[in-house]
Amino acid sequence: MNALGDILPGFSRAIVRGDEPPGQINSAYPKHTVSTAIDVYRNNYLGNLHDALAGAYPVVGQLVGNDFFRRLTRAYIGKNPSRSGNLHHYGEQMAAFIAAFLPAQQLAYLPDVAALEWACHCAYFAEDAGTLDTGKLSRLGQEHYPDLVLVLHPACYMVRSPYPIADIWHAHQPGAPDDFHIDLDGGPCNALVIRNDDSVIVGELDDAIALWLSIIQNGTTLGDATAGTLEKHPDFDLQAGLSRLVSQGVFADFLVKGLP
Amino acid sequence: MENHQKLLSIAIGGLLALGLAGNASAADKKVEMEKCFGVAKAGMNDCSSNKSAHSCAGQATKNNDPMDFVAVPKGTCDKIAGGSLMDSGGMMKKAM
Repeated sequence: MNALGDILPGFSRAIVRGDEPPGQINSAYPKHTVSTAIDVYRNNYLGNLHDALAGAYPVVGQLVGNDFFRRLTRAYIGKNPSRSGNLHHYGEQMAAFIAAFLPAQQLAYLPDVAALEWACHCAYFAEDAGTLDTGKLSRLGQEHYPDLVLVLHPACYMVRSPYPIADIWHAHQPGAPDDFHIDLDGGPCNALVIRNDDSVIVGELDDAIALWLSIIQNGTTLGDATAGTLEKHPDFDLQAGLSRLVSQGVFADFLVKGLP
Repeated sequence: MENHQKLLSIAIGGLLALGLAGNASAADKKVEMEKCFGVAKAGMNDCSSNKSAHSCAGQATKNNDPMDFVAVPKGTCDKIAGGSLMDSGGMMKKAM
């Protein structure tokens, strides 16, 4: 009864690594030899992973063009076999892979664009959650405000880059004009990814609110995060920043440190 | 550490005054946002899409691995420029 368990690892190596297929494979299939059939299977395996990557990285694909993207994905697939039964999990290491991929070295911003696309991909498939309940917040005494711990929505991500990655991302969305020109020296970018209903939205934060949100993201209390941000950015406008982030649905909930 | 009590009160007070988010509609909102399982992003996890990208048997040889080509990006990247473009690679300098 172990036959399947015995044969699968060898079959997997034949597909993924191109090893000799295991001898137990039924070779009675009339149309193709075993090695041709394995090649067809492998081609579908590669094609599916390629399509999964193309689905997760459409902007990278447009930036480098189809031929280059296919080479990139083939190299990625060779180094990063799929580890999950869910193809939506495939492609997480792309930013790091591109950073080390010699033919793409010239495009210094490409790893950060890939990181932003992965954040968008994860945001799209993140769990649903409510938004901050201001009614519940209004019942909280002011003395508890410094101890507030804001919980980020599971679809909220930040990606920081020295390059204008949010502009690059927007220029490659469906319906965006073709005749864009982006100056890489336009300054760094704190991209904010959120999901509104089923749409992923990419915005930008200034340095102060980005720092504040990154501290909040670590589970730091509102009081400490605000004090820490004000040290570096004395002109930090908490009220404006908080209103904006709450209205965009960045927070799902809050707790109060020290209260049950 | 200073806890900036007053600043926090003003910020949260402003938030509550605006009546943003949440509130009584939170439950309805949740239903509205409910996603259908199995709905995939366009083109993803869609078996049929693979047919357009690949002709199965036609490409099924071991020898068409394209990795030994010198690959040059040829997409919209030529619309993105700036002095920092060449920095990280180190191999490409502006004067070419």
